[in-house]
Amino acid sequence: MKIEDVLKELSAREEIVPVSIQWNAVEEAHLEVRPEDFKKACLFAHQKTGAPVSALFAEDMRAALNSFFIRCVFASRTESKWLIVSARLDGEAPEFDSLANDIFSASLFEREISEMFGIKRRGAFDSRRLRLHTEVWPEGFYPLRKDFKPPEKYGDTGQNYAFRRVEGNGVFEVPVGPVHAGIIGPGHFRFSAAGEPVLNLEIRLGFTHRGVEKLFEGKTAGSALAFAELVDGEAAFAHSLAFAGAVEKIRGVKVPERHQLVRAILLEMERLYNHAADVGGIATDVGFSFPAACASVIKENMLALNEKLTGSRYLKNFNRIGGVLKLPRSAMEAIGSGLAAAEKDFSALKEMLYGSVSFMDRVEETGILPHKTAVELGVSGPAARASGVAADLRADFSPLYKSAEFRPARQERGDVLSRLNVRVFEFEESIKLIRKFAGMLETGGEEEPAAGEPRSGCALGYAESWRGPVLYWVRIGENALVERCKITDPSFCNWEGLAQAAPGNIIPDFPLCNKSFNLSYPGNDL
Amino acid sequence: MAQISGVLQVLLIISAAPLFGGLIKKIKNIVRMRRGAPVLQPYWNFLKLLGKNEEVISKHASWLFKAAPYVVISSSVAALLLLPLFGGSAAAGGMGDIVAVLFILALGRFFMALAGMDAAGAFGGMGSSREMFISSLAEPAALVSFFALAVNAGSTSFAAIAGNGAFSVSSLTAGFSLFIVTIAETSRIPVDNQETHLELTMVHEAMALEYSGRSLAIIEYASHLRQLVWFSLIAGVIFPLPSPSGCGAALAAAAAVIFTLKLLALVIIMAFTEISLAKMRLFRVADLLMFAFIAALASAVLAAGGY
Repeated sequence: MKIEDVLKELSAREEIVPVSIQWNAVEEAHLEVRPEDFKKACLFAHQKTGAPVSALFAEDMRAALNSFFIRCVFASRTESKWLIVSARLDGEAPEFDSLANDIFSASLFEREISEMFGIKRRGAFDSRRLRLHTEVWPEGFYPLRKDFKPPEKYGDTGQNYAFRRVEGNGVFEVPVGPVHAGIIGPGHFRFSAAGEPVLNLEIRLGFTHRGVEKLFEGKTAGSALAFAELVDGEAAFAHSLAFAGAVEKIRGVKVPERHQLVRAILLEMERLYNHAADVGGIATDVGFSFPAACASVIKENMLALNEKLTGSRYLKNFNRIGGVLKLPRSAMEAIGSGLAAAEKDFSALKEMLYGSVSFMDRVEETGILPHKTAVELGVSGPAARASGVAADLRADFSPLYKSAEFRPARQERGDVLSRLNVRVFEFEESIKLIRKFAGMLETGGEEEPAAGEPRSGCALGYAESWRGPVLYWVRIGENALVERCKITDPSFCNWEGLAQAAPGNIIPDFPLCNKSFNLSYPGNDL
Repeated sequence: MAQISGVLQVLLIISAAPLFGGLIKKIKNIVRMRRGAPVLQPYWNFLKLLGKNEEVISKHASWLFKAAPYVVISSSVAALLLLPLFGGSAAAGGMGDIVAVLFILALGRFFMALAGMDAAGAFGGMGSSREMFISSLAEPAALVSFFALAVNAGSTSFAAIAGNGAFSVSSLTAGFSLFIVTIAETSRIPVDNQETHLELTMVHEAMALEYSGRSLAIIEYASHLRQLVWFSLIAGVIFPLPSPSGCGAALAAAAAVIFTLKLLALVIIMAFTEISLAKMRLFRVADLLMFAFIAALASAVLAAGGY
């Protein structure tokens, strides 16, 4: 259903009186409702758009309006529009009705809102904190409130975290992490197992919570853009793009087509090196070391190509608000030869993997994430596409990708092989896309990046990173500084997808499941 | 004289054991387009660990945890003593036959599995349980292969088997079965993965995870020795040589060279086996070892038929 119809029907049928309806640019509808209607309005929007909660967050606007705001973002994929449902909460005792009982994908976001803003949820089924661990973080300190003062004493709170427990004859728990043997981020994995089969897995993260959203506040748009690249180093360009998109929308900047093309090329370049690394990672985790070595050769070549194009192996410091820097003169030849080599190496790698009985036996039927679970949890990105959810911001929201006839990958079974297939498909698709975009680039002349008027306001920026959709909700104040920046990384919801894919597998297969999701610790531990 | 040469052989082979592990690693790395660690790296690791004065030991560990490394290395050395390495007789040839080798190795494994559980870590117990699961399937295959070889030689004495001289088809089948058993016993792909850092997937390494310092040095050395026991077993039975008559230095040198070449061939085969396969699912290992068992049975039938 179209958002305009949703809005009309909402006020007609559900007895909800909107406080205000605004369109921010053509693609972003803001609906403000009374706090008591918030849950009803979100449920209605959820049902009508058929979309999970893309983001749910709060804003402390007590200084200007003496209230908190809570906002819930839904994507209407069919018409490429966003619907943001908001409610104004009391500044003294903020409270709202929990959505999580009806929309499970809101659950993690709600826990985050509670611990970061001290906003209470009525009827929440999970009242535990998420990233500010109860063992070390004292009660009553809410970091994202504007008047937050850090606690003087950390640790020894005397509280413990309550893991879900599985009890029964022969059931035991295997705690793994947060310190791991590999060079990866910290996360605690609590397996309940009976022998080798996993009965339950609970993942606990947040050990490296850095207060990223707080650190954004008070930065100028330019320095915040550079900061966005540091949020998740493997998806630096996508994060930068999403942040820039939000600021451009606030300023009313129209990015010249040439710059859009270069951005799209670089976004795909980021996907290429990461997908190659992931395919190799899956091979490494089953001890299939020769293909893994071939994959790392591809990854290195892609990184070297990135450096040739942008001066940075990880595509940093090239994106600007309103456009990108200039590609070097030799860019097109470098892209042409680099992609040809990558394509050749990748098809050899593919042949090795798919032609190996011992490899295929490991990935088939392992770590199945059922379609229904993926939808309910709001899983996104390649993990969702492997479970039959063909959502992809590039196909759903980008006119540029639509004009290039881009089709998102889609697999149905939801096992490790499906996730591998999605990556392989996307790798090949990205090469095609880059060639198309490069071809379109050659015909046009030079264009300067667009400069916009510094304006205050708020907007949603987005980009489909290689891990899935990255959303930035940015508010810029009258003083031209960032007032609030809410980042939603795909890993935030996808970790729970991994937790649901593990039960039913044996413990030694878990690392493979984990690698097939390959989620981000920094993207989660904002 | 024979005893002295036997003891010398064992000393030589004990000191050379880590070299073979280093070689397999090197070959794998070269194939994977990497430079890899030096071939002698296992020795440097051993010396480094040996030089550590302190060990980190779990407070839940009992005396068993400290004793286990010595039992494990003793069992490996004892097994080596029973093998006639370069041909001729074993250092302790009269003390036990080919079946004894298997049981002596099992003793070491038993203690290793106990030690894995003793430290009360989450991974040790998993490693112990997996190790026992795998060895309970590998041992029957090894035993039946041994009997097939014993039928060929008319004796369970290792010297008789290795010095059998006559080459028979059943030896080849038994050797094939033993090769699969060796993969399992030396924790190599597709059964186990020595190179992985993923604790949840480990078998042998998981049991040793709680060890550090000298104990770890001993356990690692014992693994090298155990690997060599299995390699020597295969080298001895697949291509048996006639017992050298006489004790000439030239003859002994020639036997040593041939033995080394056989081991090197096994090293290369093992390295390429590891490179070209992915690790199996844990419960698929049962299928592989069952296959080894069937091959062993076939070789026993062939041997009984005189082939």
